[in-house]
Amino acid sequence: MARLTIKGVSKSFGTGFAVNDVSLDVEDGELVCLLGPSGSGKSTLLRMIGGFERPSAGEILIDAKDVTRLPPERRPTGMVFQSHALWTHWNVFDNIAFGLRLRRRPRAEIRERVEQALAMVGLADYGQRMTTQLSGGQQQRVALARSLVLEPKILLLDEPFASLDQHLRERLREEVKDIQSRLGITTLFVTHGQDEALALADRIVVMRDGVMEQVAPPDVIYRAPRTEFVASFIGSMNFIRVTVEEGIGRHEDLTLPVPVADGPAVLGIRPEALSLTPSERPRAGRVHRSIDFGTHKLVDIDLLDGTRMKAMMPPETQVPRGLRVELGVSAFHVFRDGAQVYQAGARGSETERRVSHA
Amino acid sequence: MVGLTLVALPVFLLGWLIVYPILSAVLETVFPAGENGARALSLASYRFFFSDPYSLANLQVTLWTTLVCGVLLILVGLPIALYLRFSQGRFAAYVQAMAIFPMFVPSIILSYALIRTIGPNGTVDLILNALGLPKLPTPYLTPWGPVIGLVWDNLPLTVLMLTAGLGQISNASVEAARDVGAGPFRVFLAVILPRMANSLLVTASFAVLGIFSAFTLPYVLGPAAPEMMGPFMDRTFSDNNDPLNALTQAVISFGFCLVFGLFYVRSIARNQEGRP
Amino acid sequence: MSAIPHRPVSSAAPRIAKPFDWAGLVFAILLTLVIAVPLLVVATWAFTEVWRYPSLVPQKFGLRFWSQTLSRADVWEALFLSLRLTAVVTALSAVICLPAAYAFARLKFPGRNLLFLSFLASHAFPKFGLLVAIAGIFLHLGLISTFWGVVLIQLVGTLMLMIWVPVAAFQAVDRRMEEAARDAGAGPLRVFWSITLPQAGPTIAAAVLLTFVGTFYETEGAWLIGAPQVRTMPVLMISFINNQLVVQYGAVLSVMLWLPSFLALIFARRIVGTGAFARGFGA
Repeated sequence: MARLTIKGVSKSFGTGFAVNDVSLDVEDGELVCLLGPSGSGKSTLLRMIGGFERPSAGEILIDAKDVTRLPPERRPTGMVFQSHALWTHWNVFDNIAFGLRLRRRPRAEIRERVEQALAMVGLADYGQRMTTQLSGGQQQRVALARSLVLEPKILLLDEPFASLDQHLRERLREEVKDIQSRLGITTLFVTHGQDEALALADRIVVMRDGVMEQVAPPDVIYRAPRTEFVASFIGSMNFIRVTVEEGIGRHEDLTLPVPVADGPAVLGIRPEALSLTPSERPRAGRVHRSIDFGTHKLVDIDLLDGTRMKAMMPPETQVPRGLRVELGVSAFHVFRDGAQVYQAGARGSETERRVSHA
Repeated sequence: MVGLTLVALPVFLLGWLIVYPILSAVLETVFPAGENGARALSLASYRFFFSDPYSLANLQVTLWTTLVCGVLLILVGLPIALYLRFSQGRFAAYVQAMAIFPMFVPSIILSYALIRTIGPNGTVDLILNALGLPKLPTPYLTPWGPVIGLVWDNLPLTVLMLTAGLGQISNASVEAARDVGAGPFRVFLAVILPRMANSLLVTASFAVLGIFSAFTLPYVLGPAAPEMMGPFMDRTFSDNNDPLNALTQAVISFGFCLVFGLFYVRSIARNQEGRP
Repeated sequence: MSAIPHRPVSSAAPRIAKPFDWAGLVFAILLTLVIAVPLLVVATWAFTEVWRYPSLVPQKFGLRFWSQTLSRADVWEALFLSLRLTAVVTALSAVICLPAAYAFARLKFPGRNLLFLSFLASHAFPKFGLLVAIAGIFLHLGLISTFWGVVLIQLVGTLMLMIWVPVAAFQAVDRRMEEAARDAGAGPLRVFWSITLPQAGPTIAAAVLLTFVGTFYETEGAWLIGAPQVRTMPVLMISFINNQLVVQYGAVLSVMLWLPSFLALIFARRIVGTGAFARGFGA
């Protein structure tokens, strides 16, 4: 039904760039998350797609039709704002009906479609409430219904659950995912929460300083981060500095085969890829603390050079504080100048293949 | 450009009816038109004002009234504002309503009310008489008449502005001071007063600007001579048909209020910067 | 966590009594004496036929002076003149200021901050001095003692309120709300009509109302420019005081004119209570 194509879009302000030369294709029915820290340009990109900001360069196409210069009211996009932006002087019904009334639909049709939309977000019978009488979660559902009732080709969500508490956020994102896959609507979702992106997205776009760092499905982003930034932003990652000589990366506590050119490099190791064995070596790392999460234990190890490593262990592991340990590594990434140059480990080769695919 | 078009009309009014009259008043009094219509530099009208004992007496009574009213307003308004800011007592709503009420009473109605209350044989006299106490000399038609009226009239804005100023002092900072052992009085001196200095000055400036050239209340409640600058200017302009001297008096009023006006402008400019 | 029930709270649990609000009581009594009593005195005079010193209460109540006041031709003339004048000034002020307020709140144009500031700064001059300066200009233009002269001078007095309060009202409208309406398919004008105006409406209505009431009672400009030919209600009431006419005329007019406007002002208090005014004046 709807394909979104972004070609070389930039947005400059003063001397800098909020978004710098971003190109992206979003397939029909796909849910893409724009993920990044605040100021990374993800919201600006979304607002350019919605028509609220004018790009300084580049093109935005929806179904091969250039919409770059169209105002928001003439674009087939529907936006859900972080602050929900409901019109507080109208009740829920009127909020949802406004767009349909602008399109001069017959009264009976408006009534029917508003009621359908309300039922879809689980708020049937709430039509006559004023928006201010609703809870935060209900307000956000109304905002979603208000966008969906107009059957937009592209649904844009700008951190829609940021102001809700954790529990509600998780429930709403499942509902949004269900509705999205049922309607098959092409969706862009801006968030700064990695769990939200991992839980929702078909593909994740990691942004930093207005530039796309990586575009890939969640499992690839997690297992094969292309850059050090992506590796650190998604999930937790231990970083450790090594020196590479003749294909061997050396650190006081680790020696690993690293087939890259000689010089300094950064090793990235996920907590679950670390194993610990007790050690007699006087200069071995020491257990600083161990936190029991029930499903697993997270063990902090202080290395002698001051690096702190996190290791994920089975819950039954007994690691007393102060215990000296050797580190075992089952999978790792090697970064140089911020970019990944080598990856080794259990599913490394499989994921590498899919990176090139994406 | 659309923006400039939309604001053009009020900006024109501002220029024509505020900026231009002020400049023109200064020009006309410094370069008055002579017998033949030619303009020449002459400070005669200013020299007259500052050598005429009657004008000087009027200026003096104006300055006195402004000072007394300003002090009284702060003395009355500050305790009320402090009470409204920090009390959750059951009377707070009523006190606020009463303190703001005069804002909704036009000064002409206030004049009637005060004449009947503090005037000769007014309510105050009636009550004193009923209690067997001697009559007090009535402030009506003395300099104290305008003082009472102006304080009454300016109380709401004073209380509102001081309450707004106090609103910027967080409960937490007051509680922190209480926590380290400061008593209420100490909290007021060490925490509240320093942070209120600006709003106190703005409030005082605003009151001074309003009181210095007040017209209705001094005209109705005050003595015929000496009179405050407002009625004085009015009489010079209308009754004596002497615009040159009336304008001179106006320019002199601007001069005396200049410091307060500048302070007020500086303060609202800073306020605007704080808001995007 | 709080869902875990604690042991049942006994309904007879001792309540901690709040200390009595003595300071509030003192303020309340003093303010009532100073603020309310003079107004009650005027109200009493309006319904009094005979009240001779030293009786604490009037000897004879009655409505005689209402019919006497209302049969005076000058009262009716002044009332209609004032209403006409006030309607013209308020309408002009709204037409001139509201678009400007929207521009200040929402549009970007060169000199925006400076121009906005200069409106607020017009309060930095002693008012009557300014009126005399304006009167000096009107003298050359032949506007003294004319209806339009009074309209203009009263218009100046309304500019600041009619710009500042609506600007604040427009700024308080969430931009996302307007964007959401654009997103739903509304053009800029439709957004203004359906979203911005209704959202800012109550505050703007209050500003218009305050302007109307404030202009109706505007005394100083009307007196300086209009008197004695253009006799508005306040000007007439001043001349009643000057001419030492029966007390009740003024009292009756006060009660009659003030009650309706007071009801209107209770509605407008919404924006006073929020401290919007105080901030506008630079506090």
